[in-house]
Amino acid sequence: MMKLHSFLSVLLMTGISAIMISCAPEACFEETNAHLKASFYSYSTKKQLAPDSLTIFGLGQTAKIYSKAKNVQPALIPLNPSAGNCTLVVRINNVTDTVEFMYSSYPYLISKECGYTFLHTLDSQAFTQNNIDTILIIKPNITTANEENIRIFY
Amino acid sequence: MRRTFAYSISLLLFLSGGSLFAQDTILFPLKIRAGVDIAGPGTYLTDKDNLSLEGYISYDRNEKMSYVIEAGYLNYKYSQYNYDYLSKGIFTRLGVDFNLLKPGMSLGKYWAGIGLRYGLSVFNSGTPYFQYENYWGTVTSSIASKTKTGHFIEITPGVRTELFKNFSMGWTIRLKLLISGGGDKDLRPIYFPGYGNGVNRTAAGISYFLTWNIRYKTRTVITKPEVPEETDETEVESTNQQQTNY
Repeated sequence: MMKLHSFLSVLLMTGISAIMISCAPEACFEETNAHLKASFYSYSTKKQLAPDSLTIFGLGQTAKIYSKAKNVQPALIPLNPSAGNCTLVVRINNVTDTVEFMYSSYPYLISKECGYTFLHTLDSQAFTQNNIDTILIIKPNITTANEENIRIFY
Repeated sequence: MRRTFAYSISLLLFLSGGSLFAQDTILFPLKIRAGVDIAGPGTYLTDKDNLSLEGYISYDRNEKMSYVIEAGYLNYKYSQYNYDYLSKGIFTRLGVDFNLLKPGMSLGKYWAGIGLRYGLSVFNSGTPYFQYENYWGTVTSSIASKTKTGHFIEITPGVRTELFKNFSMGWTIRLKLLISGGGDKDLRPIYFPGYGNGVNRTAAGISYFLTWNIRYKTRTVITKPEVPEETDETEVESTNQQQTNY
């Protein structure tokens, strides 16, 4: 009987502890932004090559996503969820191109603590070729996971 | 002939007497129970956005096993800096309880055991407001309320004891495993009736039941008497004997 009593006491304490932990308000520790992850490649060697200087900003925006940043690999590019496309100014080693992405966005629940974000499905892209040679779509599903979405060859 | 008959009767009595000597019987009351959970209303006193009402009916199949049906209602609201969430609906759980106490200890008054449940929940879930902010600005949106169906299973260890005649009290811990939350993979329900946080594959909860019960049948249960344990003295004596023999 004592064994049973001890077992039930342990069970009750374990259960209450589990419930207290599960009920306790928690902070959001997860990634909340679904960035387009763009890796940079050398057109000549076909190997990864981070630009010496990288500047990226949205067309018509004053704030910059990257400003003369060094050794960025990959670049994390936010997309506009309230539009089906967005145009970015991409300056690689002081040579400027514009890149337009066409995509669709949909809401996604991250967790109770973090709330909602938007994920995207990349449809296509268009770009000038001042320095950029090619842009390849590797994974069109843009999520919060750390996965390469496009390759930029320059 | 008379001697043979008398001998047969004596043998019968001896055998039946022997049988009675080896086994005890108890009259075990099989019951029907109806209970209400007070943990849900208790939580509501401190959190007016979480109303959970729940009750159960159980029927003893025998002294070890009961059939259980539980049902409840949830009206849940949650709000934080970047979204509001609503969930309202009903649920039912079907399953069995197993009493781990021996009938002689339980006597129909005490229960300590474990249960298994299958849960089904039908609910409306929606997000009237959420906000997302990134480089391009702030987007405010909503997700329309939809009727969804959730499925889950539970393991429910617990205890119950009779406080007064026909009146019991007890708690049950609920260890839950989600089968399906009813939403697609992108918009899982944050909270749904009977289960809780639908984002997580597992969940835990507790119910504290006040139970009214009534006996519907009495069953004679044969119990085996406990074999008396050997005392230390006996062991010591036997050890001494062995030593002496050496």
